Amino acid sequence: MKELKILAVLVVIVLVGYIGIEPYAKHVMHGTIPPPDFSYLDLPKFEPVGDPKKGRELFKANCSSCHSLKADGIEAGMDKKTAELSFHVVPPDLSNVATIIESHFLANFIRDPQTATKNPKFAMPPMGYLTNDQIGNIIAYLKSTAKKELTGKEILHDACTRCHSVKYQKIPAETSQEHLKIYLGKIPPDLSLMGRAKEHEYLITFINNPQVLLPGTTMPRLGLTKEATETLVAYLDKIADPYKEQRKKIGIWVLIYMFIGVVLTYAWKRKIWKNIH
Amino acid sequence: MRFIDWLDERLAIRQLIRIMMTEYYVPKNINFLWSFGVLIVLMLVILIISGLFLLMYYKPDANLAFDSVNKTIMMDVAFGWIFRHVHAVGASIMFLVLFIHMARGIYYGSYKPPREIVWITGYILFILMSATAFTGYLLPWGQMSYWAAQTITTLFEKIPVIGPDLVIWIRGHFIVEDPTLTRFFALHVVFLPLLLIVFTAIHLYAVRIVGSNNEDGEPIPKEEKKKKGIPFWPVFMAKEFFVMTVFLTFFFFLVFFHYEFAMDPINFIPADKLQTPPHIYPEWYFLAFYEVLRGFFFSQNLGLIAFVLSMFIAMFLPWLDRSPIVSGKHRPLFQIAFWIFVIDFVFLTVLGKLPPTGLYAWLGLIGSIVFFGFFLSLPIISKIERKQLERGGDKQ
Amino acid sequence: MENEERMEENSQGMSRRDFLLYAMGAWATVGVGYTLYAMYKTWEPLPEVLAQATVKFDLAQVKPGELKVISWRGKPIFILHKTQDMAQCPERTIAGKYTVVIGVCTHLGCIPNWEADRKIWHCPCHGGEYDACGINIFGPPPRPLDIPPFKLEGTVIVLGEEGPEYKKMIS
Repeated sequence: MKELKILAVLVVIVLVGYIGIEPYAKHVMHGTIPPPDFSYLDLPKFEPVGDPKKGRELFKANCSSCHSLKADGIEAGMDKKTAELSFHVVPPDLSNVATIIESHFLANFIRDPQTATKNPKFAMPPMGYLTNDQIGNIIAYLKSTAKKELTGKEILHDACTRCHSVKYQKIPAETSQEHLKIYLGKIPPDLSLMGRAKEHEYLITFINNPQVLLPGTTMPRLGLTKEATETLVAYLDKIADPYKEQRKKIGIWVLIYMFIGVVLTYAWKRKIWKNIH
Repeated sequence: MRFIDWLDERLAIRQLIRIMMTEYYVPKNINFLWSFGVLIVLMLVILIISGLFLLMYYKPDANLAFDSVNKTIMMDVAFGWIFRHVHAVGASIMFLVLFIHMARGIYYGSYKPPREIVWITGYILFILMSATAFTGYLLPWGQMSYWAAQTITTLFEKIPVIGPDLVIWIRGHFIVEDPTLTRFFALHVVFLPLLLIVFTAIHLYAVRIVGSNNEDGEPIPKEEKKKKGIPFWPVFMAKEFFVMTVFLTFFFFLVFFHYEFAMDPINFIPADKLQTPPHIYPEWYFLAFYEVLRGFFFSQNLGLIAFVLSMFIAMFLPWLDRSPIVSGKHRPLFQIAFWIFVIDFVFLTVLGKLPPTGLYAWLGLIGSIVFFGFFLSLPIISKIERKQLERGGDKQ
Repeated sequence: MENEERMEENSQGMSRRDFLLYAMGAWATVGVGYTLYAMYKTWEPLPEVLAQATVKFDLAQVKPGELKVISWRGKPIFILHKTQDMAQCPERTIAGKYTVVIGVCTHLGCIPNWEADRKIWHCPCHGGEYDACGINIFGPPPRPLDIPPFKLEGTVIVLGEEGPEYKKMIS
């Protein structure tokens, strides 16, 4: 009984200390992470509708000098090297862009990328001269070419690896470091271990709207859909911690094993101490 | 059986077993807190073995260290992640066990005559373990590793006259850099573990000579050992095994399911010399001392002196507390001081992780003063108790 | 053990070799066993090492009379495009005209040098010599240079995999 009392005192002290330095201190330091907003309603409302065929022509006339669309066999007018020299970043292929980016955001983005991404230095020039109908047609076209289901790795490729490398997956950043430095002011962090360095919720909100968590960052808001963000972050978590499942499985077996040990040693202790007092 | 006889003739193992195990008596009136010494040895063994396997793949080079830990060991080596989890969580839990072991020593007066050497070697072991943990923490070369080393080595700058040069000498560079990493590596894997083993041996030897203390702090003369004690083997160890398995269950639960407290997420970002993370803090076991450093927020020098003092003052307990009553169990005044000290230590630990602003800064100051207050109250409590004894005359 | 009898005097609880002690021993053995297994696994070659286990090489890039040395599993592989004036040996010749051997002397593991004028390999350590087929013709080497396991895919040789040609050659 006396020993249980001592144990209880120990447990209370350790728990109070633990709660203080882990949950409580973290709460004070980081606050609560604001929830993500996938509606992007800070931008003017825009329901893009249109005709994919007209969109294709518009795409070729307005976009394809920089962007390729490999799903439809459209090559970019300039190669990656030239694009890098003029924009300091490689323009993406747009085959699947309509699946990963929310369409209301995409429409606003085409009209005014700097406002939509909250990055005044965003490389793509504003296409304000396009009418709403034209933008609607282009988006209808982009939707027609896009694969409906994308894996986390594909989303990572379309959304992140133009600037970010993922060293441990042997994925280099598409844009060279010297140009990224000019474009973003620094080399963006490698994403190999982001899933372990940052909490799941943090990554979701950060990708959704970087300025909320890191004011002044040059990372643009990308306007990813909820599904794309979640698939992407799940992928980042997985590559950062590939043994999560194994760890749980082994952990449970080890605990079962230890529990047997506790029972055995307790029985032996009882036996030896039976006659001592 | 023959082999045992053969060995006995040459090594006197029967006698050895008798002296060390079956006829080594431990007092009867001790509780499971006395098991923590063996738990420390257990943790040390676990740390050395897991460390050895990490060492086989770790690369002490500023360009390679981070990837060798986070890619090679954590992802490529089969079960490499278990060894790292065990080593990281093990280091953290080692300090929990050390603190409990030391608190037991303080509460039951285990530092009093004739056990001063036990206490001092034990305290040296604590300092050595702190140094081992600190040098080891730099090795993964993550953001937290780097900035912890950067700030703590900067402390030496405040030493008058030689300070600035000393810092550069310690680092081998103007900032924490590759030479710092390689020398910390050498200290962490060879020098400090060797010292730890040597001092552990002295510590255990000293315990064998003077015998374990007990709850009532009563000395047990040789003749009474058998009557008032229990043999180390098998009786004491039977209990010890039970405590060990319970402890290891808790330990492995942390290793597999709850390791974040020992493996800070920020340390999964590679060291960046040009960018300090928004919040930096030491591992939890240094937080109380760190808070003493920050507690005297109005004077950096005072803070530094207080910090050094806080790390070493407990070593002088045998001379601060000269009360003839050994165990805290029979010292009401001491008990009050002790529990205030324990609460204050937890309080400082929590504050150490919070940003040192506004109210927290003032609370840190109060906590730091209370910390030293405990040690300074001991001579006074001793005097009062001595007088009470003289007046009452009822000895323990 | 005899000292157990002594223990009996000291403590009343421990008299016979008891079942619990054995059970605890068995329990600990299982734990130590698994720990040793994990330790054993950590010493196995890493994925990046295993990735070097197979190497592809296009034989067509070796000109007649030329010797190319490539690395496979850390060892040098000699690839010699043989000409008529060299030693002939259909049973050791790959794709009709190539000698492909592991360039490690079968005596004590040195790497022999190709002497183009004599058309032989000469080992610098103990003077062993091999002809253009890799067969030992002089000195201490006990057997010809080893042929690495290979598979042919057209003119491309895949080192590290056993194809039908290799199996025929070693049988």
